[in-house]
Amino acid sequence: MLGIKIYGKQNLKFQEQFIIVANHNSHLDTIALMSSLPHHLLIKTHPVATAQYFGRKKWLVWLSNLFVNTVLIQRKEDVEIDPEALQHMDSSKALALLEKKLANGHSLIFFPEGTRGEPEKLHDFRKGIGVLLQRYPQIHYIPVFIRGTGKILPKGALFPIPFEASVRIGKPQLKNSNLVEEIVSEVRNSILLIELMNNYK
Amino acid sequence: MSPVLQMVVVILGVLVFATVLFWIWNKIQPSAQVSEMMLRTKSWWVMATIFVSAALVHPLISFAAFAFLSFVALRELASISKNARTVDRNVIFWAYLAIPVQYYFAYVGWHDAFIIFIPVFMFTLIPFLLVIQGHTQDIARSMSVIPTHLMLTVFSISHLAYLLSLPELKGFEVGGRGLLLFVVFLTEMNDVFQFTWGKLTGRHKIIEKVSPNKTWEGFIGGLLSTVAAAYFLRFLTPFSPIIALLCGLLIACSGFVGDIIVSAIKRDFGIKDTGTVIKGHGGILDRIDSLVISAPFFFYFVYLLYY
Repeated sequence: MLGIKIYGKQNLKFQEQFIIVANHNSHLDTIALMSSLPHHLLIKTHPVATAQYFGRKKWLVWLSNLFVNTVLIQRKEDVEIDPEALQHMDSSKALALLEKKLANGHSLIFFPEGTRGEPEKLHDFRKGIGVLLQRYPQIHYIPVFIRGTGKILPKGALFPIPFEASVRIGKPQLKNSNLVEEIVSEVRNSILLIELMNNYK
Repeated sequence: MSPVLQMVVVILGVLVFATVLFWIWNKIQPSAQVSEMMLRTKSWWVMATIFVSAALVHPLISFAAFAFLSFVALRELASISKNARTVDRNVIFWAYLAIPVQYYFAYVGWHDAFIIFIPVFMFTLIPFLLVIQGHTQDIARSMSVIPTHLMLTVFSISHLAYLLSLPELKGFEVGGRGLLLFVVFLTEMNDVFQFTWGKLTGRHKIIEKVSPNKTWEGFIGGLLSTVAAAYFLRFLTPFSPIIALLCGLLIACSGFVGDIIVSAIKRDFGIKDTGTVIKGHGGILDRIDSLVISAPFFFYFVYLLYY
């Protein structure tokens, strides 16, 4: 009914472990991505969310753990966090948390823009994805370009309204460069490339 | 055999014929237009299934199917529209709500409410809701664009559904089902006729900037074929031979007008360029473009003459 079409689902089947990297426009992004995963991978895949947003209240932590196994991370610049919610998190060491998941053979869903930006605009990426791929060079990343979900359920909207949207899943790739900054721009370009390829086919 | 059953057989025959024809055509001389026609035949199979199930099972299936068709078309138009603003989101939600109301009026056959609901009520409600939101920048554009979307996708297509609610006429047992089959079948056939005649004999472009594939030869050839088809299919209607010919003329012209109007809109939104459609955006509008105008014109042609 909402009109989200998912292309390239078969790209998710090649790897047992991966990091999905996508642009972020809406809460629906996570749901759409998770719904396209096969079940045995789904239970081992964790969307990465900031504790500043999802850790605000106890019930939000509980809700996001129940439905989407979220890993909450605390970013350096996030200061005000509900102390009660903090108890549910292992530590404030964000990367350590994510590495633990990867070491267990689990997968991650990453939104390197860090927040839901303006629709159809790719903002600058945060460094976290670069650091992670630098430390785990054997893990494939899967670039995903999402368009239109920001219209269905934009930032701050209470309920979704049907519009057409698409989730385009790219081919799994390994990082080429070694520097964190270069990895970040490599990942970012791979996402932009999906959109370009689609427009000029 | 009853006329409707005859028509079902004719439709199945034509569909099989068209499917095979375009399949072979695509093997011999593949082109973007032929694959477009193949896509069209595919959607006719879907439409035919809806009609046949409605004719043989229950008309309510048709109302639900047409309402859904309107919904998908409106969603597509609202998504590709570059004229609607992001703040119009909530108002577009109300536009969606108009669909069940309009189709309810069609289902119960309340004709007065049916014809005034969108052009009068929604035409007022949408600007009013926009005004309440308070963003006046570009508001006039949204005020005109959203009701136009509703007219093109909901008001027009709902006339197909209303055909099924028309009262019975003495001496015309086929009723609305026959009329529905008649208009949809002829409109779609008109597209095929125009396409085929244009391909075979087309030289002189009609409006190159909007639709580069439309030629006078295709248009006239399609028109004559459609008029002839209308003459032979008049057993589905209460028409006399003369009226049937006139009706064929009306369907051919209004189908053409709908086609180029939707083409022009899509061109404006940057979706259509030199006849190619971006993958994933071909969508439902391309399938129903001719019906957008021919459905209401045919409806009032019949309604004013016979009901």
